[in-house]
Amino acid sequence: MLNVLDSAVPVECWSCSVAHNESTLFCPHCSKIQPPPGGNYYSVFNLQPALNIDLAALETAFHRLSRKLHPDRFARATASEKEWSLADTALLNDAYRTLRDPLRRTEYLLKLHGAEIGEEHSGKDRRPHEMGASRAPADLLEEVFELNMQLEEMRAARSSGEDDPALARNLSEAKAKFEGLQAEVDHDLREQWTAWDNGGDAEKQAAQKAMVALLDRRRYLSNLVREVNETMGA
Amino acid sequence: MAYSDKVVDHYNNPRNVGTLDKSAQEVGTGLVGAPECGDVMRLQIRVNPETQVIEEAKFKTFGCGSAIASSSLATEWIKGRTVEDALAIKNTDIVKELSLPPVKIHCSVLAEDAIRAAIGDWKKKNGVAETADTAVAAQ
Repeated sequence: MLNVLDSAVPVECWSCSVAHNESTLFCPHCSKIQPPPGGNYYSVFNLQPALNIDLAALETAFHRLSRKLHPDRFARATASEKEWSLADTALLNDAYRTLRDPLRRTEYLLKLHGAEIGEEHSGKDRRPHEMGASRAPADLLEEVFELNMQLEEMRAARSSGEDDPALARNLSEAKAKFEGLQAEVDHDLREQWTAWDNGGDAEKQAAQKAMVALLDRRRYLSNLVREVNETMGA
Repeated sequence: MAYSDKVVDHYNNPRNVGTLDKSAQEVGTGLVGAPECGDVMRLQIRVNPETQVIEEAKFKTFGCGSAIASSSLATEWIKGRTVEDALAIKNTDIVKELSLPPVKIHCSVLAEDAIRAAIGDWKKKNGVAETADTAVAAQ
């Protein structure tokens, strides 16, 4: 994973020796393929690191670079170039998948800025009052507990071969509710994107804190919905 | 990652799993959760109004082995203690007893939170009656 925010380190092209930005996949001077670059996923696409991005432009760039990196184009190239075309393709795919997904993109950019997200900030020995933003959403606890009880009942019923339509209906309703909450979180995240992209240092910091909390909540909700799906599909 | 013998024991034979009547005056309920792993823990106590001793403690936890063991151990420890004594239990005591690895320390934090939440709920419910007594006891 590429994780350097400032990617302005110049390197020399192995073929023509002209210096170029290290994040480029092809030499701007002689067009030869380059070894897997440094920098970050944004710089691979020559995009400015931001949360609101032009997805159509990202897709176009991805397809263009994918074609240029296709192994068929390197059938008669050197062994190094063949190897790089594979490595660069893997990197390009990772970068595209990360930036295209709104949640993964948010996580990625916040991590580039040093934020600790998810499991990374969960295992530490913090006193309860210091856990602040990482506390479970209190407004949800009752419903989450109730949902878990229903899931347990459902699994027990399933394993003894019973079918409980009322229980299944309750679970579907609960799932719909949690999916609605996910949509709310996504909406709130998008609002913070704009604050982060356009704000100064203070606004960025506030938005970052808000987004870390929102991502926690989002992950929590996703896990619940996934559990319901697994139990109902079983 | 291997669980310690004590965690496995509590996981396989959890103590005090169950439910107390949430609406009863002498029952306090604590419900806490951790967003990172989706654990949710309910701990309930029944307190003797005369002596303030926790006579019964029940829990129900949805989560990993360490979370279940931490809450099971917590109910064992608070039973027979006074409310104020129970508040002295720290998550680090649970970590030591169960030999929890660093990544599972938040499970013990959750259990301590659950004790505090249950006692807090009981205190709130019994606010009028308890002030005089605990004011003396707290000094």
